Amino acid sequence: MAATNKGKTAKPAKVVAFSVNGKAVELQIGSEPHQVESSHTLAHTLRETLGLVGTKITCDNGACGSCTVLIDGKAILSCMTLTVECQGKSVMTIEGLADPVSGRLDPLQQSFIDHTAFQCGFCTPGMIMSAKALLGENAAPTEDEVKEALSGNFCRCISHYHVVKAVLAAAPGGSE
Amino acid sequence: MAQEYRFIGKPTKRQDAAAIVTGGAQYLDDIKFHNLLHGKVLRSPHAHAYIVKIDKSRAEQLPGVEAVLTWEDVPDWIGGTPRVVRVLDRKVRYVGDAVALVAAKNAQIAKEALALIEVVYQILPAVFDLEEAMKPGAPQLYQELPGNIVTAGTPAFGRNCLTEVVMGDVEKGFGEADAVCEGTFGYENIANPIPPEPPGAVAHWEEPNRVTLWVSNQASYLDKIILFHLFGKKVEVRTHGAACGGSFGTKLMSWQVQSYATLLSKATGRPVKIIFTKEEHIAAFVLRPGSRMHARVGMKRDGTVTAVSGTWLVDTGYYSATTQAQVAVGCGEIQLMTRCDNWDLKTAIVCTNRNASGSVRGFGGQELKCSFIPVLCLAMEKLNIDPVEFIKKNYVKPGDGYFWRDGDWYTYRGIDYSDCMDQGARRFGWQEKWQGWLQPSAVDGPRRRGIGVGVHGNADIGEDSSEAYVRLHPDGSAMLFSCITEHGTGQRSNYVKMVAEVLQIPMERITVSPADSLVNPFEYGPFGSRGTYAIGSAAIKAAEDARRQLLEMVAPRLDAKAEDLETVDGMIFVRGKPEKSIKWGAMGYERTILGYGRFDPDFTLANCMTTFVEVEVDTETGKVELLHVVNATDAGQIIDPPGLEGQLNGCLGSSGIDSAIFEETVLDPISGHILNANMIDYKWRTFSELPPIDNVVLETPVASHRFKAIGVGEVATSPGPMAILMAVSNAVGVWLHEYPVTPERVLKALGKINANGKVNDSAKVNAKVNAKVNAKVNAKVNANAGSGGAA
Amino acid sequence: MKPFLHLNAQTVAQAVKSLVKFEGRARLNAGGTDLFGLLKDEFLPEYPEAIINLKSVAGLNYLKQSKGILRIGALAKLCDIAESPLIKERYGALAEAAHAVASPQLRNVATIGGNLCQDVRCCYYRYPRHLGGPISCARKGNGPCLAVRGDNRNHAIMEGRKCFAVCPSDTAVALAAFDARLVVVGPAGERRIAVRDFYHPLGNALERDEIVKEIEVPALAGRARQSFLKFTLRRPIDFAVVSVAALIVVENGVCCEARIALGAVAPGVIRATAAEEYLKGRAIDVESAAQAGELALAGARPLPKNAYKLEIVKTLVKRGVLGLPLETAGEGDAGGPCPHGNPERG
Repeated sequence: MAATNKGKTAKPAKVVAFSVNGKAVELQIGSEPHQVESSHTLAHTLRETLGLVGTKITCDNGACGSCTVLIDGKAILSCMTLTVECQGKSVMTIEGLADPVSGRLDPLQQSFIDHTAFQCGFCTPGMIMSAKALLGENAAPTEDEVKEALSGNFCRCISHYHVVKAVLAAAPGGSE
Repeated sequence: MAQEYRFIGKPTKRQDAAAIVTGGAQYLDDIKFHNLLHGKVLRSPHAHAYIVKIDKSRAEQLPGVEAVLTWEDVPDWIGGTPRVVRVLDRKVRYVGDAVALVAAKNAQIAKEALALIEVVYQILPAVFDLEEAMKPGAPQLYQELPGNIVTAGTPAFGRNCLTEVVMGDVEKGFGEADAVCEGTFGYENIANPIPPEPPGAVAHWEEPNRVTLWVSNQASYLDKIILFHLFGKKVEVRTHGAACGGSFGTKLMSWQVQSYATLLSKATGRPVKIIFTKEEHIAAFVLRPGSRMHARVGMKRDGTVTAVSGTWLVDTGYYSATTQAQVAVGCGEIQLMTRCDNWDLKTAIVCTNRNASGSVRGFGGQELKCSFIPVLCLAMEKLNIDPVEFIKKNYVKPGDGYFWRDGDWYTYRGIDYSDCMDQGARRFGWQEKWQGWLQPSAVDGPRRRGIGVGVHGNADIGEDSSEAYVRLHPDGSAMLFSCITEHGTGQRSNYVKMVAEVLQIPMERITVSPADSLVNPFEYGPFGSRGTYAIGSAAIKAAEDARRQLLEMVAPRLDAKAEDLETVDGMIFVRGKPEKSIKWGAMGYERTILGYGRFDPDFTLANCMTTFVEVEVDTETGKVELLHVVNATDAGQIIDPPGLEGQLNGCLGSSGIDSAIFEETVLDPISGHILNANMIDYKWRTFSELPPIDNVVLETPVASHRFKAIGVGEVATSPGPMAILMAVSNAVGVWLHEYPVTPERVLKALGKINANGKVNDSAKVNAKVNAKVNAKVNAKVNANAGSGGAA
Repeated sequence: MKPFLHLNAQTVAQAVKSLVKFEGRARLNAGGTDLFGLLKDEFLPEYPEAIINLKSVAGLNYLKQSKGILRIGALAKLCDIAESPLIKERYGALAEAAHAVASPQLRNVATIGGNLCQDVRCCYYRYPRHLGGPISCARKGNGPCLAVRGDNRNHAIMEGRKCFAVCPSDTAVALAAFDARLVVVGPAGERRIAVRDFYHPLGNALERDEIVKEIEVPALAGRARQSFLKFTLRRPIDFAVVSVAALIVVENGVCCEARIALGAVAPGVIRATAAEEYLKGRAIDVESAAQAGELALAGARPLPKNAYKLEIVKTLVKRGVLGLPLETAGEGDAGGPCPHGNPERG
């Protein structure tokens, strides 16, 4: 692939369209107040443009997992993702877990309540989203697999022990 | 034995649980405001400098910028203890000090405006070590604090605030000792508790003199009081607390960010929000105090401490707000854990050109003991005293006395914690593992295990004042008015539990007022371990008061005396005769009943946490791994089992145990920059490295309030670090003197790196160290085998 | 983040064209995990005018083996490399290295190209602008290196010159042991650069307008025992304090091929050639492995605060050669064939 053929340079996009919690979102790209700037992170767009403030920002630099959301089922950090690069993706946030009609909580959320798997609760949405990604890929994780899946999530209160129990208990294929 | 209750002691759902797991809990940055501006802070590149000139004109011209403030623009609001720190000053005293404030229509524009402010500095020499700062000729941070020594004592604790421990006759005490040891140990890694939610504030100024603030704090009422005084008692302050994303004591003081938001709102007439970045949070908010102790202790063979003398030096960074309070409490706590008649312990708080230290879980005592207990250990080693036996013997006993923070003498009326320590030791397997001082508990090739124990407790569980109202409604529900936020301990739900138990109505029927200083009575806040006893007492008394009023009001309807009545689930009846009952509605449907409760300080009870740790040291790499933790405490009565377990598990994080293993704030020794102000380089414990933790919690009723409970959550972080230092020293056979026990320090202690940083011949060193350790272990094992045979 | 122009490249050629057009004022974005640190902390004197998104280039995330050569597209994600049966089976040290990077969420987006091209982690270099920074330094070309007299616990113990920051890439260490090459595309066409030659004290070997397109990993002669050991203060998230990749081929009881690569000790990945030569023709045992560890330190000149790394290098080389895990209990017996050490602890 030599670089000399067909000399076009890369181009910017004018709109970005993706889904958030099953709903289609289309945003114009630009610097007007109603638009999304190309430098906006997904975390910023979720919180400030779409009003989905359940996604928390702790370090805003890729180190703590608080802003974890799912993109196409994978846990990613929304503070390290450009909104303009989400074209065509399916984004799921903590607000998208409960059943939209009945309001019934996701089994993971219920398990976090039942196990008091939080203290200050600020890191909890990110924890639940990392766990959600894990259970999506592995219905019966071992304790070590739970720890591995959550190893990028910061919690300073040390809710870890309760979280591990909550996730294992919520695993559909788990024995607990 | 603990009593059986309907709610108390049962695991119940936190009232905010559903909000937390759905992302609906509203933390400061989640609240929407109309017409909001965003504030940013320009920070100093120099550790010590005068601002010679500031040109803000280019910043002001940037579209979207609404205000730029420098020290020349702001009122003379002065914080700190004593009041020496101007909100914006013409002098900067650490790298990151506030130089100017910007408000703009969004945070990005505010940030860009910072770059357009031109500042000319006159750089001054800076000082980063506390003993250097005390020397004649050292750079001086404040004219008001000659020698960089901070005025001792805090006015908040009264005129006789404890600043030292001096009593008895130390020379006589040393004369009676079987061993006298001295040493210098430091806990100077100025670890940072880093709650996930960064510090921040939203302020809305209304002319001429009123400001409403939305804060992230444990106790929003305290913010109101601090700011009222800071603003020269001329501004009416209202504070709203909301869910708080962690504090660990640090957010007790957020006066700077709150003042910045207030000033920018005053300048613009619009609400202004400032949320620190995580980098600012780490480099420009609150660190643990640095602690260095030179001490001399005398000890008898039976573990009696005959004398303690020495100097406790505390590095507070560029200013003190709470450090005097921490020293006062620390001076009290050292007496709680060392029953000794002869003391001459002096203290000094010193300013240096780094980010400030402030209030952190463990409040003074953790810092002090991390430096002091190792000195005691030197004497225990000399006399071959088992440290568990030592702390059992030396922790405060009923009838003992101590000077507490206000300088007064108190007689302890709590329980003896020896049984609790024994039970913890048994769970840990202390006796089987303890091989003597500087002896590993096990050796496997290059890996050596060691064990250690630490203890901490305070008489803060009854500090300061609390007030609460409980309002009863005719529909059988109630509301608790208490100005506390939920910062992770679950205490808002626990007070509901206490009120529910008094009123005998389901917890779901009780709501708690928002933590708004306008509607709630005085509340100091859930600091120290005071939440359960102090705040709980106010809530209980308010509920009892309301219940009494209710029963008195309806007693004639039941032809009974109020004291013969019971109420359960909103029904009132004569005790033992539930068949004839009336509803709370009997009070009348156009009425509520308001009960009031107050708690006044009580320093005669103390909590206690003992932490046992086992570590494994890889002597070839210097890496320390935490294998097992046992926390042992007595809570009097457990209020909420999962909540308590969470608090105790918290021993690892928030600059607790891990501040001895890998947590540290790294300061450039020459320029004063904090080099690891991010969450990759500042280390914190992950899910991948969770040691087993066993929590042994006894319930021996304590003469506190109706439920015989005391708080123990705060102190969970405190005994661990010193236990780690002991355990690693035992594992490697040499005393380590500094925290954290990095690979470099461990390898140095093992003699594998010499003082010049060069590597020693590893084969020789290994042979020497192994020979020494193996000989000792073998001797010990053989001795055990002998006695085992006899048994 | 400050605004920038965001461009989606459809092909590598387009991306190169755009780089040429912006004359050094554009940056490539693959996984973004390193780039956003730069954009958020603004620690460099210049802020990029444009960001060129490479994820829009289709088909650059392949992992394929043909004629004994493993080819990895630069956009292959670390999570896919760590989980690939092909790589786990034949290139276990690389799978381990990919798995050792950062956190699960970051491995889900981080690419191998990005991992190889990431900037250094020096705390002076990266000191954020908004905390009274940035700090001038030799690497930025605007001042002396402060790490030399300051806190250099994480810096180079060998081959530092002007700048003492170390190569932070984990995958580079494994790839250097495999003698891998980078296929680089620029305005003048393609060229190949060995991973071990890719880094120098002030940057890497890429020209301003070049892009890493592919990683070529030649086949190993024989069945090697592979090991990747990464020493950190805690797991995961951390960058290596020291890392070692070791490939050892043993035939008839003696070592016939030894490749030992050292990471986080120098501006680039170091091949411990003296140790490799020493092991060839010898039985692999505790003594020879320990001697290899000593020889791996050839040329080391630690700074005042990082001599501890020497001990860790020695230990990791010894354990890597023996095929022992990082947290090993004993060092007795090499214990037969160990596919690629470093199992997770419980």
